[in-house]
Amino acid sequence: MQSGTDKLNSTFAALADPTRRAILARLATGEASVQDLAKPFRMSLPAVSKHLKVLEKAKLIRRSRTAQWRPCYLNAEPLKEASDWMEQYRKFWEESFDRLDEYLKVLQAETKKPAKRAKKKNDRK
Amino acid sequence: MSSTADREIGTTRVVNAPRPLVWSAWTDTKHIEQWWGPNGFTTTTREFNLSPGGKWLFTMHGPDGTDYRNDVTLTAVTEPELIEYDHGPSPVFHVSVRFEEDGLDRTKLSMRMLFPTKSERDRTVEKFGAIEGQLQTLNRLEEYLASRGSL
Repeated sequence: MQSGTDKLNSTFAALADPTRRAILARLATGEASVQDLAKPFRMSLPAVSKHLKVLEKAKLIRRSRTAQWRPCYLNAEPLKEASDWMEQYRKFWEESFDRLDEYLKVLQAETKKPAKRAKKKNDRK
Repeated sequence: MSSTADREIGTTRVVNAPRPLVWSAWTDTKHIEQWWGPNGFTTTTREFNLSPGGKWLFTMHGPDGTDYRNDVTLTAVTEPELIEYDHGPSPVFHVSVRFEEDGLDRTKLSMRMLFPTKSERDRTVEKFGAIEGQLQTLNRLEEYLASRGSL
């Protein structure tokens, strides 16, 4: 459980930066070199490399060790875990509110019934 | 408001019941246990003290038999319009639930969940920042990846 939380923390930390999100979006279309990834940004190669290191540490990307140009690949698994985690909270509230809505109907029906009974009792008197 | 917007999740729901009833559905454990949690979950209350600083300790039982301990500390209780609490155990996030009348027989519930920050002395969880934007990014990425069959 703890390691799962740590993993999520590092995923969210990596995703907190817009440049890194843009890099991931670019990698979703296929592998790319550091030079390719740097192109859309007004950023030096070392600056982009820094971002890549954060993404690599969070296991959001993989870098080839074999090819000379060391292409980067997207690793989607931590994204799915982070997304599942967020989904849990959304689901929690959506479903709780659905249940609350249903339960309120039951409560309202119940509060109406005793009122009628009370009235009948009074009528008898 | 704007300083916290990037680490908030918000949701709003209008329910078909007058505000006093909705308030009691939220503040009486015999009612809460009937609706709290996703489908298939049940809740057992261990302690409930509805006042600022009071504790609400409960266990949620998942449909697969897994138990989830919850530790809530109430921080504000203003009948019939506002409940605020810190929801733990870990990570602790701050929740506010606002009850507004929406006509005679309807109540608007506005819920905000605020994720922890550095000011709460936990540097690691600060990184939950910008969660909503991230979720959108994640969803888009996931959709995209799913459409490519790589997930």
